Amino acid sequence: MKSRLSKWIAGAAAAAVVALALPASAQTTYNIASIADFTGPYADIMKDLVGARRAAVDWWNDEIGKGMGIKVGIKDYDGRYDAAQTASLWPGIKAELNPVAVLGVGGPDVAALQGRLPADKVPMFMSTAAYGFAWKPDPWIFNPRPTYGHEAAAFFEWFRSTRGIKGPLKVAIISSEASPAYVDIAKGAEKFAKDNPDKAEIVETIYTEVQPTDLTTQIGRVIRKGAQVIDIQTNTAAVVATKRALQALGKTDIAIMMSSHNGLIASGKAIGGMKDLEGDYEVYGMAVPTDEKTKAHDFQQMVVAKYKAQVTWSVASVMGFNQTLVALRAIEAAARKVGADKVTGEAVRTALMATQLPSDQTFGILPNLTYTNDAPFPVTGLTVNVATIKDGKYVIAAENVPVPAITKW
Amino acid sequence: MFDTIDFLNYLVNGSLVGLLYALIAMGFIVIYRASKVFNFAQGELVVFGGFIVWWMVIQTGLPLFVALPLAMAVSAIFGLIIERIFFSRLVGESSFAMVMVTIGLLILIRGLILLIFGPQVRPFPIIFALKPVIIGDILIPRSLLIGAVITVIVGLGLSWFFNNTRAGLKMTAVAEDHQVALSMGISVKRSIAFAWALGAVLSTLGAIIYLSGKSLNFLASDIGLSALPVALLAGFESIAGVLLAGLIVGAVQGLVTAYVDPVVGGAVGSVFPFVIMLVILFIRPTGMFGWRTIERV
Repeated sequence: MKSRLSKWIAGAAAAAVVALALPASAQTTYNIASIADFTGPYADIMKDLVGARRAAVDWWNDEIGKGMGIKVGIKDYDGRYDAAQTASLWPGIKAELNPVAVLGVGGPDVAALQGRLPADKVPMFMSTAAYGFAWKPDPWIFNPRPTYGHEAAAFFEWFRSTRGIKGPLKVAIISSEASPAYVDIAKGAEKFAKDNPDKAEIVETIYTEVQPTDLTTQIGRVIRKGAQVIDIQTNTAAVVATKRALQALGKTDIAIMMSSHNGLIASGKAIGGMKDLEGDYEVYGMAVPTDEKTKAHDFQQMVVAKYKAQVTWSVASVMGFNQTLVALRAIEAAARKVGADKVTGEAVRTALMATQLPSDQTFGILPNLTYTNDAPFPVTGLTVNVATIKDGKYVIAAENVPVPAITKW
Repeated sequence: MFDTIDFLNYLVNGSLVGLLYALIAMGFIVIYRASKVFNFAQGELVVFGGFIVWWMVIQTGLPLFVALPLAMAVSAIFGLIIERIFFSRLVGESSFAMVMVTIGLLILIRGLILLIFGPQVRPFPIIFALKPVIIGDILIPRSLLIGAVITVIVGLGLSWFFNNTRAGLKMTAVAEDHQVALSMGISVKRSIAFAWALGAVLSTLGAIIYLSGKSLNFLASDIGLSALPVALLAGFESIAGVLLAGLIVGAVQGLVTAYVDPVVGGAVGSVFPFVIMLVILFIRPTGMFGWRTIERV
């Protein structure tokens, strides 16, 4: 009797072990390191950006990963938009997560990790436009958008043709040396103007603090030089100071061009109302989060409804979605190529290079992407979208504006 | 080609920005004179004052004539709380210990601001009209012009206070030596408390001038760093000297920004005040008007 009971217990235990082991062996977990900025200059947009990353991972695990036997885990790290902080975090991230992909925030993360990732064989996916200083062959850091210079140049061409301007468009740039990325952004636009003197002329690049004291004198100077557009791809504080200077000088007809991270909505909140930004623009190579019904907007609403995602429809969430979806699609392509249990960072990179990523796969958040070994961003076929404030409303001004070529700087 | 009008615009604008730095630097000096503490958290006091003004005007809708004095009062209380919690216990301790506490304070205040007000960029109310004052071809930002007048009045007033009133002279005695002041029956703790309250109020005043009509988040604390070369050039004990130092640093910075930056394609203007600071530290560590002390061993 005792012997039969022992056999029964042993059998049940074995069955339990097999039952527990089966799902574990059927599903392989891979990790993504999510570098964020919770206490630095972009802390204000992190809730949506990080929320979107998590929502995209939840969706992928449920809809794609489950079928492939893969689960993707994601963990946040506060890089503080500081290269030194990101560099110091990296060894710990590797040891703790052994990630197959990293999601970065901006230039400091690129500066901190561009020398290390090739050796560690982990690709990093950005949500921002690319940088000239990272425009090198054989990349391990990937941007879904061209450089800020490219995005600005696309806007210059569009604005010039829309307004019927015959000569070169006269542009003033507001930048800052607070970050190497800000300087690089200005250099890109300057390079486009230098190579295309018939299309754009930079009347002056003003370097100022991240929180400018007062720009009235500087803006007065660029107005005298005939500036038609003021290019600000740094931060919202610079947009507010510039707009106040324009208002002080009674020159509100000069358009300000912003980027994604300092766009119309964020700058509108910082200045106290969207009406102050009437006729200004934001430009970037990804979906514009207006109220209009689009595939991208549908995706955001779906993840909120189905996965209880804590994410609003904003530029920050579009950025979070874009980089995470590219990373997940690359992991997916790698798993199909090497097998679900053999995915590595190197395999993810190789798969990304070998796979065309149609816009549909990112729910229209990004255009069609084809990466090559030439650059960290797709060098051909890219487009940007332009948004503006019209009658106090945030609307799309132009879609799929082609990005012109710029030589490296 | 050299343009005289441009030159004057840069010079005037730079000088006015320098006087704003001088106002912030006064906060450094007032606290240093009383407690011999170089307060690394001065920029954070500016941000704190800015958020209090924002909260009172934008969030609660108080009229400016009520909100601004109230914000000053809250800042003074905040300064007193800082002194009571951290510095009243450190009287007689080494300067190094006190400086380390101010670094901790910087991190603490920044964390508290993030916790209480969040990381969002906030619209700061328009305190001074946006329209600039135009004299001939010279364009003067109104907030900086009014700020400069306020700075000069405050600087001269404080200088008079420290040199001509009983309370001010007591604080000057405290600034010279805590032990001697104590032996003369002067309350060192009370002087230090007053200095922290005054330093916080000056920071709030600086925030009002600096941020009028612009945006606010914790990055505004960078102005504390910009004011540092002004305090060093003046010498850490001279209130009136800081006005001249502010004018020098601001004017030089304005001209370098206008004429050197475009040539080299970078922000030499923002670095140049710190070059001045290093030169001062090498040549005359006490600054232009700082006290020269003779120690007999």
